[in-house]
Amino acid sequence: MTESADIAIVGAGAAGLAFAWKVAAPGLKVVVLEAGQPVDQRRAPSLDRDWELALQTRYNANPNIRQGPADYPVDDSDSDIRPAIFSAVGGSTVRWGAHFPRFRPSDFRTASLDGVGRDWPISYADLAPWYDLNDRMMATAGLAGDPGNPPRAPRPCPPLPLCPATRRLAKGFDRLGWHWWPSDAAIRSTADGARAACNNCGPCGVGCPRHARASADIAYLDAARARGVEVRAGATVTGLTVKGGAVTGLRYADAGGAHDLACAEVVLAGNALGTARLLHGTLDHPLLGKGLMMHPTAIVTGLFEDDLKSWRGPFAASLVSQEFYETDTARGFTRGFQMQALRGQGPLTTALGGYGLPLAWGRAHAPAFTQGFGRSLSLTVTCDDLAEDGNRIEMHPTRRDRHGLPVPRLIYRVGENSLKMLAYGMARAGEALCAAGAGQITVNPLSRNAGFHLMGTARMGTDAAKSLADPHGRVHGLVNLSVVDASVFVTAAAVNPTPTLQAIALRSADAMQARLGLVRKETA
Amino acid sequence: MTYPLLPALLDTLLPGDGADWPAAGAHGVAARMDDLAAGAPGGSEALAAVLEALPADFESRPPEDRETLLRRIDADDPDRFARVVTAAYNAYYTDPAVRDVIERLTGYENRPPQPLGYDLPPFDESLLDAVKARGPIWRAVPEE
Repeated sequence: MTESADIAIVGAGAAGLAFAWKVAAPGLKVVVLEAGQPVDQRRAPSLDRDWELALQTRYNANPNIRQGPADYPVDDSDSDIRPAIFSAVGGSTVRWGAHFPRFRPSDFRTASLDGVGRDWPISYADLAPWYDLNDRMMATAGLAGDPGNPPRAPRPCPPLPLCPATRRLAKGFDRLGWHWWPSDAAIRSTADGARAACNNCGPCGVGCPRHARASADIAYLDAARARGVEVRAGATVTGLTVKGGAVTGLRYADAGGAHDLACAEVVLAGNALGTARLLHGTLDHPLLGKGLMMHPTAIVTGLFEDDLKSWRGPFAASLVSQEFYETDTARGFTRGFQMQALRGQGPLTTALGGYGLPLAWGRAHAPAFTQGFGRSLSLTVTCDDLAEDGNRIEMHPTRRDRHGLPVPRLIYRVGENSLKMLAYGMARAGEALCAAGAGQITVNPLSRNAGFHLMGTARMGTDAAKSLADPHGRVHGLVNLSVVDASVFVTAAAVNPTPTLQAIALRSADAMQARLGLVRKETA
Repeated sequence: MTYPLLPALLDTLLPGDGADWPAAGAHGVAARMDDLAAGAPGGSEALAAVLEALPADFESRPPEDRETLLRRIDADDPDRFARVVTAAYNAYYTDPAVRDVIERLTGYENRPPQPLGYDLPPFDESLLDAVKARGPIWRAVPEE
């Protein structure tokens, strides 16, 4: 007899676990299927001397290099940017820097305001209550009063500290009269229960043994299980079954073989690549996979003469500048970018180039290391990407993974608007670092490894001809199939999408509860 | 695998500075480099190919000649050579004695980042006075 679930969620990452926790209700069987395994962050590589080697191997962000048991290949031969995704309970948040900004109100209205892209069918105000709820669950650190963003509820934790290098950068921004603000971060700056306060060790990307840095598993897994959610790790969903305009269930494979699961509702939260793989063959819509947006990112690094010991503090969560976030057509492009400070790195990563090219080998090597280590600070230039016509996720016509699923093809070229924005932004980042006192500036004009934000390939909207899903992520034409990851994004904004995709997941979960007649007491 | 020319290759890639920094080959990281190359996709093949391209008298040549030779091999196949350089850096910068040098020269302690972490003073909100004084810069959007 086929097992059944009321709600099956594909993917135990940022969106999937948030959705599961929110939708759970007494008597409801909610099953989350995750191809990856749990990660014991209490034993993170940052406790080992060779932690920097882990970044190249089992914590490598690129699945084509990592080649873990749960990874599937991604054909990136036609992409300017390589994929950076992680398969685990907790998803890519296990491997992230926990920078946690919200989209701005204008990000939801780019067509009305700037004549580019499309307007979302929802607004910032629509999402705000779920942003707030998610801040509480993830335990966001930050400071109220940012003039770059709308007023909002206080964060659960005060902002993370600056270090001597980022303090100097802040002064540089002040000298130029530009905006800066301490980063919103999904990192506890104060202890609470089992989560200790951040101790500024630096490499958040290999997991946090203190659980100070949130990931979806740390923030949502136990809470979801307490509500009766079942998470099955090592379970790869291999297909959906559809009958008469509805999904009847799914197939998945685990160590025990192949299984069928009949489902009243199926929710896809496997990131844009994983979701596109499952929608392929299930849904016949001309927009499926089209309009892929990433965040083209340049990295500008400044070297300072004095020793700043710039490795101290979370590598990606210190301060940002959103001075150039909104559109100013005099700059020669539409929309804008964020500059985000990145701290110095460990010795090996510094030698391997950090955010740019490796240090030269040979007699010049030792002096170059001495001049650079602990004295560098970088700024990203992260662009609001427009949905270009040719950028898309397709399925490879012949290549299959170990489960017989098609290998996804990432087809992506940086568009003209983003190229202009990158050029302008690199110049501004260089100015800021010089104003901070950096003597030597180096530029990585496009981080090839920055494929961590994949958005827009099943975008939401009210018109079934122009969108894949409705404003709550329900796929048009399939009444019980939803998408709640960044596939449904309509625009990319210029910041990390995780808070936004989690807010969408929480909001969609509440909508599903209401639709199913299940009402939990607490609301957003 | 034992490669007789690997120490000389390492000494050319990472010759140190004759004072604080040891030369990688003389310091004895060859075996670890070999291991680390084997753990990376294409690493062992790259190392074998580069070593095979070296002349038999590579070790006895002056450092400048060795460097020139390696630059030629690098130019022939940059991706392959980059794998070898990565393995060399991996071995060198995870060596405890090299980490002692780094600690002495920079203050970066020879220990893992955790569990001790690093101390930083709390965020000082007065740093934001100038930013606050400018007022809002986000664009309000009329709600439907």
